[in-house]
Amino acid sequence: MKLQGVQQTKWMGVLIFTLAVLIFPLIITQSFYLTHATFAGIYAIIAIGLGLLMGYAGQISLGQAAFYGIGAYTTSILTVTMGWSPWLTLPLALIIPGLLAFIMGYTMSRLSGYYLAMATLALGIIVHTLLVEFRGITKGASGFFGIPQLELFGYTINQGVPYYYLVWFFVIIVLILSLNIVHSRVGRALRSIHDSEIASSSMGVNTGKYKMQVFILSAMFAGLAGWLLAHMSYSISPSMFTFNASILFLAMVVLGGSGSVWGALIGTLLIKMIGIVVHILGGQFTFITSDFEHVIYGLILMLVVIFVPRGLFPTAADWINSILSKKSTIKLDKPSVMKARRFDVKD
Amino acid sequence: MGDFFQFTLTGLTIGSIYAIVALGFVTIYSVTKVINLAQGEFVMLGGLTMYSLSSFGMPYWLGFIVTIVFVSIIGWLMEFVLIRRAKGANPISLIILTIGTAIFIRGIASMVWGKDQLRVDPFTENKPVNIVGATITPQAIWVILIMLVVVSLLYILINKTMVGKAFQASSINPLAARLMGISPKKMASLSFTLSAALGALAGLAIAPIMFPSYDMGTMLGIKGFSAAILGGLGSAPGAVIGGLLIGLLESLGAGYISSGMKDVITFSVILLILLIRPSGILGEKSVGKGGL
Repeated sequence: MKLQGVQQTKWMGVLIFTLAVLIFPLIITQSFYLTHATFAGIYAIIAIGLGLLMGYAGQISLGQAAFYGIGAYTTSILTVTMGWSPWLTLPLALIIPGLLAFIMGYTMSRLSGYYLAMATLALGIIVHTLLVEFRGITKGASGFFGIPQLELFGYTINQGVPYYYLVWFFVIIVLILSLNIVHSRVGRALRSIHDSEIASSSMGVNTGKYKMQVFILSAMFAGLAGWLLAHMSYSISPSMFTFNASILFLAMVVLGGSGSVWGALIGTLLIKMIGIVVHILGGQFTFITSDFEHVIYGLILMLVVIFVPRGLFPTAADWINSILSKKSTIKLDKPSVMKARRFDVKD
Repeated sequence: MGDFFQFTLTGLTIGSIYAIVALGFVTIYSVTKVINLAQGEFVMLGGLTMYSLSSFGMPYWLGFIVTIVFVSIIGWLMEFVLIRRAKGANPISLIILTIGTAIFIRGIASMVWGKDQLRVDPFTENKPVNIVGATITPQAIWVILIMLVVVSLLYILINKTMVGKAFQASSINPLAARLMGISPKKMASLSFTLSAALGALAGLAIAPIMFPSYDMGTMLGIKGFSAAILGGLGSAPGAVIGGLLIGLLESLGAGYISSGMKDVITFSVILLILLIRPSGILGEKSVGKGGL
């Protein structure tokens, strides 16, 4: 399969994006924006994983915050309580959420659609409650304090520019990894599952296996994000890993467009920017409170589903493609591009 | 033994509310195949609207009616403005649409009513009654009674009236229903209005017990959704069984094990049941047969 249109410029996109990431702290130096940009990176890692799950495996997860929380708590427990080095906990912060996703996916493989949504929702609530209740291990509702900072070659990675670069370094790795998956054999298999699970399984595609792999991968990404969060902030608490957090990740993916790695990334940045704008306006006008932020998130979700159901990025990409195809003499095989990115779930 | 009886009574009371919320889910799902995650928000609106109306000095019975009408209109609007326009969207998009609506309504509610828990008067004088060693408040009895009345009325509506037949018809085959002169659009509208009314009723009944606040809808919505899934989406008797079961699990779990762990117990059991019976206790088959 040849890459077409906007997809052709995939690696160009990564290059330009990396440059933008590198330059950002040189232009914008206020720590307020840097902190938000770092958080945006952490969320982007989760959103990219969730985007793969929703757009390519066609599954919805209402409990992604559980994997995020498990990643954060794994490293906190090991470094604070057991005195491990933070870098040693990184593999575990990936493996434990992945293992849970495997068990969950294995036992729940018979479920699909709403029933799987329910199962992930239940997992999210169970994990959140356990984080509050297992006071002996998780320190209860107040959470962990004094999580050590990361050190690299004898330097401490402080909050601010160093941590910003660390987080976005991981974002770019996740981005490249995901783009590779999407454009590989696995990605094509997943897209065919997406279009018709019955047809692809009759063609010999092991649909269950691929779906499971994406579910595990998305859980591992969320675990990585949790690890990054824990070592960025001095403290973590269960209130960071609630149902509402899962919903926010969902909003990011839906806004940018599931079924597109870039879409999830762009959705994250947009949601984060809206949050910042509301925060700044809140300082000017008294009626704009943090609740107003939620009104806007809700409004965005409603408007996007009704007017741009595939999300902003795929819609924009198709629009650019159609302009390009008018100009060029070689006709692009547009239907297949559209089909590949269609936000459509059959189960 | 007295403890057990007490926990059971509490469980049945809270379970009745979950059952009414779950019936709202089922009513919408069986006609439109939409899972409305804003169902809990209807409950919240019911409780909070009643608070405002009674603090304006409106007579109790009038406030009751106005609240139900008001929330029903919101439900109707939700279908008319949002769901209808997203026609043909896939299940994930529809779920996200209703989540968006829920967040929106919750945000507005927190701006209107603030973040405090508010106090609503019980229906009747609320002196606890003693039944065989367990105490129950009259309001809890009201809650259980309302659930029973709602279930019977819904049963009559669905199985004994023409509207109910039209409901079933558009749930089984919208095209055939249209050919017979039934408007599936109207039925979709009706299902949202009806389930908003159910939500409001649940909110009114539970307000004096739970002290409504802007964020009460999330958990009630999740529990109602769980009840509907547990019972088998699309099955009204399933919704009632699911609701009562979750209420009992929660109350017994809180009583005998730990009140903090009650959600873990409840949701673990739900996961377990889904594992054994992926389509819920009464399954989705009843949809095919045309029952709610």
